[in-house]
Amino acid sequence: MHAEALSALGNLFGDRLRTSLETRICYSFDATGKKFLPDAVVYPVNAEDVRQTVLLANFHRFPVVPRGAGSGFSGGSLPVQGGVVLSTERMDRIISIDTENLYAVVEPGVVTETLKLEARKRGLFYPPDPASLKFSTVGGNIAECAGGMCAVKYGVTRDYVLGLEAVLGTGELLRTGVATAKGVVGYDLTRMIVGSEGTLGIVTRATLRLIPLPEAAATLLALFHENRRSAETVNAIVAARVTPSAMELMDRTAIDCVQALMPVQLPEGTGSALLLEVDGAEGQVAREANLLTEVCHAHGAIEVRRASDAPGREELWKLRRSISPALRRVAPVKLNEDIVVPRSRLADMFAFLSDLSDRRNVRIVTFGHAGDGNIHVNIMVSGTDADEARRAEEAVAEVFHKTVEMGGTISGEHGVGISKAPFLEMEVGPLGVAVMKRLKACFDPNGILNPGKIFLDEAAVRV
Amino acid sequence: MRDADLKALTGLCAKCGTCRTVCTLYPERKAEIAVARGKIALIDAAMSGEDNDADAVQEALTDCLLCGRCERACPNQVLVEEIVMKGRADLAEEVGIPAWKRVLFGKVMTSPAATGIARKAAAAGQRLLPGKIPTASGLHYRFPDGLGGEGRTVPKLPAKGFLESLGKGEAATGEVMLFVGCVFDHVFPEVGRASYETVKASGRSVAVFRDAACCGLPAMVSGDRRSATECAEANVRRLRAAEPGAIVFPCGSCLLMFKRNVFSLIPKGDPLYDDAVFVANHAVDYASFLLSSGVLDRLPEPSPVEKVGEIGYHDPCHLSGTLGKGPEAREVLSRAVGPAFAEMAGADLCCAYGGTFNMRDYSTSARIGENKVTAAVRGGTKVISTACSGCALQMRDMAARTDPSVRVVHIAELVHQALFRK
Ligand SMILES: Cc1cc2nc3c(=O)[nH]c(=O)nc-3n(C[C@H](O)[C@H](O)[C@H](O)COP(=O)(O)OP(=O)(O)OC[C@H]3O[C@@H](n4cnc5c(N)ncnc54)[C@H](O)[C@@H]3O)c2cc1C
Ligand code: SF4
Ligand code: SF4
Ligand code: SF4
Repeated sequence: MHAEALSALGNLFGDRLRTSLETRICYSFDATGKKFLPDAVVYPVNAEDVRQTVLLANFHRFPVVPRGAGSGFSGGSLPVQGGVVLSTERMDRIISIDTENLYAVVEPGVVTETLKLEARKRGLFYPPDPASLKFSTVGGNIAECAGGMCAVKYGVTRDYVLGLEAVLGTGELLRTGVATAKGVVGYDLTRMIVGSEGTLGIVTRATLRLIPLPEAAATLLALFHENRRSAETVNAIVAARVTPSAMELMDRTAIDCVQALMPVQLPEGTGSALLLEVDGAEGQVAREANLLTEVCHAHGAIEVRRASDAPGREELWKLRRSISPALRRVAPVKLNEDIVVPRSRLADMFAFLSDLSDRRNVRIVTFGHAGDGNIHVNIMVSGTDADEARRAEEAVAEVFHKTVEMGGTISGEHGVGISKAPFLEMEVGPLGVAVMKRLKACFDPNGILNPGKIFLDEAAVRV
Repeated sequence: MRDADLKALTGLCAKCGTCRTVCTLYPERKAEIAVARGKIALIDAAMSGEDNDADAVQEALTDCLLCGRCERACPNQVLVEEIVMKGRADLAEEVGIPAWKRVLFGKVMTSPAATGIARKAAAAGQRLLPGKIPTASGLHYRFPDGLGGEGRTVPKLPAKGFLESLGKGEAATGEVMLFVGCVFDHVFPEVGRASYETVKASGRSVAVFRDAACCGLPAMVSGDRRSATECAEANVRRLRAAEPGAIVFPCGSCLLMFKRNVFSLIPKGDPLYDDAVFVANHAVDYASFLLSSGVLDRLPEPSPVEKVGEIGYHDPCHLSGTLGKGPEAREVLSRAVGPAFAEMAGADLCCAYGGTFNMRDYSTSARIGENKVTAAVRGGTKVISTACSGCALQMRDMAARTDPSVRVVHIAELVHQALFRK
């Protein structure tokens, strides 16, 4: 980056601009484990800081990469072409919670769980609950359209974004959307920005829908011999016309991994587990929990555990949330894909994966949001064996082809970033890509915002 | 950097970010460089040669309280405390240790006589310091600005330490060994005394470990591996030779040193390893010893209290967190003071003393510490009890700054009061 650009940023940010190698290293990674050094890091505290940064970027032509907590799984916050990482961690205020009209106005750096807890204190519920909710930010959630455990009943981040304030690639501050329950005036620019991975605008404020907090909840852990049984159970539960607020699946390796780190005793022969949750009115919760237990047993559950109090439920959830990082203990590199298939095809997908693992001789760990048909397929790689790396890449491509063939999508919630850029066209087609690029040009004509993401041919990887 | 074990330790970090949510320092810094994930990335960069500025990396590693909250929250059980300490030690070999620390740890701390002399010198020097501020106990003096931070209060050092106050033959031999620790010997001898008397109430013969060197933790956290090893070796040798049935620690940080950290200084294969294991196996926290030795059965019924819930307990990170001994202290308190004890608001938040962190960045340390005391007071706590020397120092200073009517005591003092109440 030009010295001039840096000194202009310095005038703007003072000591909230950092250019030391140490700080740059600390913003060079995300949860993919990949690494690209930025030239500088800025810590804006308001929309005006963000706007000025983008204006400078247009003048001096440097990339601006927004970053929340850096917990992304597709490389979204990695500065692949250098430039400035714009960290939202100091824009972390909840500005207001309207308990009459049921919405919250927040800054992008608010941690998801903080918002959930504040809403809860007022008897309200902000449903989106990615497994990263304890550290990921609302801004990052919006940019990736994060899903979560309760998506099966309550939907994903998109379903709770009413309105946004965002700095476009031009430096203009766009206010879009509503603070009301509905609104159809013009194109839905709000939804356009949701899931755009920081390539169309930098969210500086969000109006988020809240709903009344369910009165009670119960969590069940059902243990099975194999994934196929779990998958069948998921479909049987839907057929029984219950909508659990979570249906999470964990395979054998995922369970072993967590078990190695936590004191949970599981019966011999456990090869797959379903974590189920129901919420609602007190009596209904008890009734549905009983019904789920019956369905699980009818489909070969070895054991079903239940927790209805908060600490017991949290214990079970911790199990689930720990899987992803704990896989680091299986192998240092994981190719983490979050495909979605129609729920009814889950069992077929598991059969395909098991066959693929044998054929390509790669280790595959699966877990995830089975209720949505959204499963995390983790291909585990040592990182030192070139042949294994090639087999893994081939396996990933096969998984994606199979997914699309089954009528699914190659990313349910983690986004394209750099990891899935090569497969974008495969799913959306050439016209889809072309229209997306026209839109990008309209929001960000100079390609300032998060360049090198989503579209492959822009990926001029530098480091 | 050279430590061969480091790579294996840092390699487990998945860069997930869980540690950001619990870090004591993060709310103050709001920058990735302050949290475990950032520090681990920096150590990796230093090891790979990507970052050769050892001073700058050391500076980042020094900005850490070693409270271990990140480590306990980490889904991968990444050993952050060990990583940071090893990193500091490795870098110290490249850039050296600040001179003031070197003098303190290298010369002073390893011999029992020297710590006593240092104390006397300090006590004498303190009388020259201006600005005595009145507090409930009258024990606080104000450091002049520039010397250790604005408005810091330090306890006035008593003329006589606890060990010094013992008669020549008193507590010289015994089956239970009491490891008082520097602070409870020299700075708060009343804690040393209360621990001794209450441990003695078990009916077992008690010796006070007079040959103690400093536990070594201050040197270790400063990256002074050599001095730390000297302290650890001297202590392990002398403790092993005394053949105690149990070694009781009123200070959680000293205990952590002998239970866990010692093995990074005296690893498997070291000639002293077996002795270190012996010491670790016999080392026990004060509260657990009281519970297992029947002392509490001798307590009279807690007298009916007017002030229900006015005594709180501050969880020392090392004791309650790392060593998991939070419930024991609470059990002791409930039995000693009855309903006067109640859970304190924010009990398990770190007080931000962090050993040398407090000297390095007093204003941050004080901000976090004051918040802690303020929250406790707002919740109705009037007496803060604890079981760690660092916490005791910090909480007294913070109480003096925020609300001088708050008393800070060691749980042993409360037990002592209950046992010997007329
Ligand atoms: C252990 C673990 C579990 C996870 N579980 C889930 C899960 O269950 N469901 C799920 O969906 N994801 C999950 N994730 C992925 C990740 O947490 C989500 O993608 C999350 O939304 C990222 O948020 P973040 O704040 O970390 O954003 P970052 O990773 O910092 O950034 C993500 C993207 O958002 C952009 N961005 C950030 N802030 C802004 C802003 N203010 N304006 C515009 N763009 C912005 C960035 O440029 C980047 O493209 C998990 C991750 C981990 C490590
Ligand atoms: S919580 Fe553990 S694994 Fe996750 S980033 Fe922090 S140290 Fe690394
Ligand atoms: S030890 Fe404490 S201060 Fe240091 S990184 Fe971990 S949580 Fe933060
Ligand atoms: S002395 Fe204070 S800073 Fe140190 S471990 Fe204890 S609570 Fe944490």
